[in-house]
Amino acid sequence: MTNHWIDIRNADCIMIIGSNAAENHPISFKWVTRAMERGARLIHVDPRFTRTSSKADIYAPLRSGTDIAFIGGMINYILNDMEQNPENYNMEYIKQYTNAAFVVNRGFTFKDGLFGEVSDGKYTATAKETWKYADTETPATDPSLTDPNCAFQLLKKHYSRYDLDTVCNITGTPKDVYLDVCRTFCATGQKGKAGTIMYAMGTTQHTYGTQNVRAYAILQLLLGNMGVAGGGINALRGTSNVQGSTDMCLLSHILPGYLAVPQEADADLETYLKRVCPSTITPKGLTGDKSANWWSNYKKYTVSLLKAWYGGAATRDNDFCFNYLPKCDPGVNYTHIGMFEAMGQGKIKGLWVWGQNPAAGGPNSNGEREALGNLDWLVVTDIWMNETSEFWKRPGVNPPEINTEVFVLPAACSYEKEGSISNSGRWAQWRYKAVEPPGEGMPDLEIMNLIMLKLKELYQADSSAPQAEAITSLDWNYGVHITADAVAREINGYDLTTGELAESFAKLNDDGTTSSGNWLYCNMYTEADGNKAKKRNNVDSHPNRIGLYSDWAWCWPLNRRIIYNRASVDLDGVPWDKEHPVILNYNTAAKWQGDVPDGGWPPINQAKDSEKYLPFIMKPEGVARLWGYERVDGPLPEVYEPWESPLDKNLMSGTRNDPCAFIGKYRNERGTSDQFPHVGTTYRCTEHWQTGIMTRSLPWLVELMPEMYVEMDEELADEKGIKSGDSVIVSNARGEIKAVAVVTQRFQPMKVGGKTIHHIGILNHWGYSGMTRGDSGNILTPHVGDANTTIPEYKTFLCNVRSAK
Amino acid sequence: MSKAVLYDATKCIGCRACQIACKQWNDLPAEMTTNGGTYENPPKLSAYTFTKIRFNEVDDGNGKLRFVFTKLQCMHCEHPACVAACPVGALQKTPNGPVTYDDNKCFGCRYCMVACPFGIPSFEWDKPLPWIRKCTFCADRQGGGLEPACVTTCPTGALKFGEREELLIEARERITASPGKYINHIYGENEAGGTSCLYLSPVPFEKLGLPNLSSEPVTVNVERAMGAVPPVLLGVAAAMSGVYWLVKRRDRMGCEKVNEKEEVSK
Amino acid sequence: MPKKRSLPVGTAILSVLVIAGLAVMIIRYLNGLGAISNLSDGRAWGLWISFDLYCGVALAAGGFTLAGAVYIFNLKKYHPVVRPAVLTAFLGYTLVILALLVDLGQPWYIWHAIIYWNIHSPLFEVAVCVMTYTAVLALEFSPAVFEGLSKSNLPVLRRINWHVPWRVIRAIQIPLVIAGVVLSTLHQSSLGSMLLMMPETLHALWYTPILPILFLASAVAVGPAMVIFESTLSTRAFGHKLDLDVLSGLARAIPYILGLYLLLKVIDLMAVGEIGLIFLAYPQNLLWWGEIIVGVIIPIILFSMPGVRQNRSAVFWSSVLVIIGLVLNRFNVSMLALEMRPGTIYFPHWMEFAISVGLVADALLVIWLAHRLLPIVSHEELSPDIA
Repeated sequence: MTNHWIDIRNADCIMIIGSNAAENHPISFKWVTRAMERGARLIHVDPRFTRTSSKADIYAPLRSGTDIAFIGGMINYILNDMEQNPENYNMEYIKQYTNAAFVVNRGFTFKDGLFGEVSDGKYTATAKETWKYADTETPATDPSLTDPNCAFQLLKKHYSRYDLDTVCNITGTPKDVYLDVCRTFCATGQKGKAGTIMYAMGTTQHTYGTQNVRAYAILQLLLGNMGVAGGGINALRGTSNVQGSTDMCLLSHILPGYLAVPQEADADLETYLKRVCPSTITPKGLTGDKSANWWSNYKKYTVSLLKAWYGGAATRDNDFCFNYLPKCDPGVNYTHIGMFEAMGQGKIKGLWVWGQNPAAGGPNSNGEREALGNLDWLVVTDIWMNETSEFWKRPGVNPPEINTEVFVLPAACSYEKEGSISNSGRWAQWRYKAVEPPGEGMPDLEIMNLIMLKLKELYQADSSAPQAEAITSLDWNYGVHITADAVAREINGYDLTTGELAESFAKLNDDGTTSSGNWLYCNMYTEADGNKAKKRNNVDSHPNRIGLYSDWAWCWPLNRRIIYNRASVDLDGVPWDKEHPVILNYNTAAKWQGDVPDGGWPPINQAKDSEKYLPFIMKPEGVARLWGYERVDGPLPEVYEPWESPLDKNLMSGTRNDPCAFIGKYRNERGTSDQFPHVGTTYRCTEHWQTGIMTRSLPWLVELMPEMYVEMDEELADEKGIKSGDSVIVSNARGEIKAVAVVTQRFQPMKVGGKTIHHIGILNHWGYSGMTRGDSGNILTPHVGDANTTIPEYKTFLCNVRSAK
Repeated sequence: MSKAVLYDATKCIGCRACQIACKQWNDLPAEMTTNGGTYENPPKLSAYTFTKIRFNEVDDGNGKLRFVFTKLQCMHCEHPACVAACPVGALQKTPNGPVTYDDNKCFGCRYCMVACPFGIPSFEWDKPLPWIRKCTFCADRQGGGLEPACVTTCPTGALKFGEREELLIEARERITASPGKYINHIYGENEAGGTSCLYLSPVPFEKLGLPNLSSEPVTVNVERAMGAVPPVLLGVAAAMSGVYWLVKRRDRMGCEKVNEKEEVSK
Repeated sequence: MPKKRSLPVGTAILSVLVIAGLAVMIIRYLNGLGAISNLSDGRAWGLWISFDLYCGVALAAGGFTLAGAVYIFNLKKYHPVVRPAVLTAFLGYTLVILALLVDLGQPWYIWHAIIYWNIHSPLFEVAVCVMTYTAVLALEFSPAVFEGLSKSNLPVLRRINWHVPWRVIRAIQIPLVIAGVVLSTLHQSSLGSMLLMMPETLHALWYTPILPILFLASAVAVGPAMVIFESTLSTRAFGHKLDLDVLSGLARAIPYILGLYLLLKVIDLMAVGEIGLIFLAYPQNLLWWGEIIVGVIIPIILFSMPGVRQNRSAVFWSSVLVIIGLVLNRFNVSMLALEMRPGTIYFPHWMEFAISVGLVADALLVIWLAHRLLPIVSHEELSPDIA
């Protein structure tokens, strides 16, 4: 989240899209309810009418996979309305804090759904050049926003195609409802009004999921909603510590602190930094003239990370052990789907699964389960036996034919171990151990520690093994009894000259005198305040009590609760919203009060020339990007159909699918709308968790939701002779599943592209393990992923349904 | 003073944390259930489920679909039928609000179950030593200064605990503050003579599955009938004694006359 | 010695039914009420309450009506039927208590009603009155027992002077009978008061504040009918023929009581403007008409006819109609017209029938035994059995 949970109560309008917050983040609804008690309006955009929709002032039905059309239409609405009623919008914000005014390369083209030439599933380097600013170092800007090549005008031209009829024909939303949404949400474009977007997997789990989020960014920037209280783009993270795990960068393309993973061609640290560290871009013609380009500190964070890992062994002479880091092949996709594709091809010998259940949670379950059979060995660390650890004896297979050796390491659940959990709002809250884990269960931390100590031992004994030094040189000094506290301090980092804990990432150096396991978390654990994740002071000390609770736990970066908050004040440092300022009083107090400012510099108009710092410090140009040229599939979100779509054609252009989507090949059959006319979408219910391993063995939860079910509308059910409660089979090109049918008025057929389409809602909590069992919804999902991140397209595919009788 | 709970259906998201909290606090086992084509489970309250959420898909009268939830549990009435019904006084309305059940007295006649206009008390049909079971209003938690488990856990504040009079005032304020949002009625204010569980709803209360009850306590006629017992007892005893005495006297008179006749005829 | 016809086949069947009932009782104590019944939270009271409790108590009304008629109103004509009536009543109440031992959740705590009093509860009143009245009936019947014991073949028993307790009971006969009438008035009506607690679920055709009075009236009407019924069957079973005069005398009283009962019911419905329901409230109105036609109107007509009253068979069958009407009424108010919780269905489990049938069989066996061993019908009252 750019903001945080409590801040939702400050919103004047909340749009929940790609999320079913009331069901899947019920506690969040405390804050939504508070906002509504203050008069905020709630909009829910979703293919289904859910418990969230039940509370919404406006429920807008949306065909699964058409978010870009929906938001694009809203962008069009704003851009048109801005012409008539500029006073309804914060034009100063748009001109000064975004790249709206920036002049783009005049070679930019957009034709028939493509932003240039595509070759082999990628835009060519030449095409990508045309997406950049005309001047990539000191871009010219047109504050009048009239230059036909400025980002604003290109945006306008692009989204002028997203008129009401076209959009509603694609999304299936009734026009009057759609206009209601536009009017209501876009009213937050006024100075002093804030709208927030709460989103989750419904947004991200598409082949263009990243562009979905980009669309929200454009919308929120046009409305001046970034950096302000009650605004922001707020991802509702899917599990209690996925934020922590992404911050620690347990992902294939990043190192802790969102540092890029080195590639094959990064022969040394310098080469690496040259590739990844962005050069500062200084815009010409805006009032702000200095970009902090915070990522220019890349080297400091990288070196500090290497010092944390390799300690004394990392010196200037050996590039701080940079070459010990594994390097990726640029052509290879190491993500979940990519990994399972490789596994399917027999390229992976062993897999270690920690607290995850790919056999039920990964897309295309039949394919992924088969792929697991190609492994020589599999280790599963979990608190229960699950579909992954039991894949070799799943229904329909003959165990003796599977040659994978499976090891199970019992783990500890969250109450049985100590450590921090980082919530969606980036708050790291320390948790304590309440009970001992049962049996031989051990916290992941201890398991990892013992494994590492053993690996060190083995590698020490055999120094000829490849990359031995990468292991033996590691500064792994926790001893046999590792503590979360020791690791937390390591993550924070040290001033190596004094041996004291590092105060903040602003004090990290690139010369090896500091260490930090994750620069973002530097400042969490200091000499002065100790482990700030343990703080529990529930006083809202902000002058306007906007709910920051800055003394409760600690958030990154530097306990800044609302990031980009310098965009919440005007060029003179006066908050746009007098009642809910985030930072304030610079002029009276000679420093910012309220939240930790996103850079403590004076307001732009008061700063000296060349020191007028722009607010969006993580961007090389210091302003937020309406125009986002660094995504692989285009600088602007554009409507594409999902990989399996009920429509034969993209109603917006001649390009049917996102040209850069990752399409898996392993057992990834593709269906057509003739065989499988209905739109399937997978999701979760309140009562169960992820693949259900934790909840399908808890009697109270099983009592609430005892069986695998699917949801459908009454018309479709009537057609198929299905009554609510009947057993049905949902099938598609990749498999079939059996479930109980919940026939409901909350699903409605939609008129899309001249066709009537039906959604079939499929829960993904079930599998063949656990106390109660059922078929996994993911048997139906495709092995295809987002163009930028390869997140699987769980949310929209084709299927058919029939009675099981 | 009498405590109450206000349930605001416009804030309830049907998450059922309350159902789980109640199970956890009262150490109740889970029931075996199946999916009958709805989210709702268990299908009814029982000796093992003291509270549950009902899922209502409702037409709001303008063709718009509403998805509204009802929390069902003992209403802790002001004039409880179960309290009047129980022959041994196992059920009592306490001054703090909860209608409590004392299994030291109960012998399982189940009159309370038949009497309750809300159909609440449940019975342990599967146990050889069965008791009546129902929501306790967490009287034990209240005794410790805590709020009921369901109220404490509710994430949105759809449940609010407090003094009955204050909650009624707040409920009225909520209705007035948002015209058109609520049905202009606080269910439980007067139903069955008033209950400790108050409801606000955006749709007619029948759509929530709450029974349409008069504001007269169901105990009214019973009280009249029981009030007649002492006079009836005395009256019948007196009447019967009187008749007996009169009849006896008439017979004796009759016998004397016969004797007289016999003597005269002798 | 009067001819005592025994029924070996009959007693065998009855014994089997009793044993079956006992077996079901054991299952109930081991596995709970759900194991032997189709009762549920939505229908907590079923066959046992409707039949064994409600019908059982009403059909035992012969005890207090006849005892009152004979000993208070001094209608000596009916003396021959007092003992059988009291025996029937005593057995009826005993059966009620035995049925409760099955139906109550924890019947071993039934004595709680003696120490924990809720004077607001009509069921408390019923409980106390039933317990007391059963004792009264036992005492009222005890002279027959003492007489039988004094004529016993066992020397051990013969040696005891049974005359002493016999005289004690005779001495307090009148207070006992008055107590019997008072207690019966209270609990027969309170069984109706119990139903006053359900204004929302008992159908408007039956729910009325005067329900207790209606209950009492119908009990008083069915008392004589039951006496006619029981003594006619006794005659067939044991050969004790009853004077027709007694039977027709009893039959004479019934139409007046039923007439008053009908009047009260109709005026009550008219007074609250609900008389139209007897035509409009389908299907409950069918139940109403059933109990009124079968159990009230037809018997009134029949019993008003002297030809019926003087015919043993006609009197018997007319009484059967009154009894059927009463049973239907008690089933209506306690089950058929009493709404269940939504979504409930109920039909008694065969084991529920087994209990009720077993208890009735129990009673019949006891009656048979009593007639064999005790002077139920005094010698003086016997009419010669004209061969």
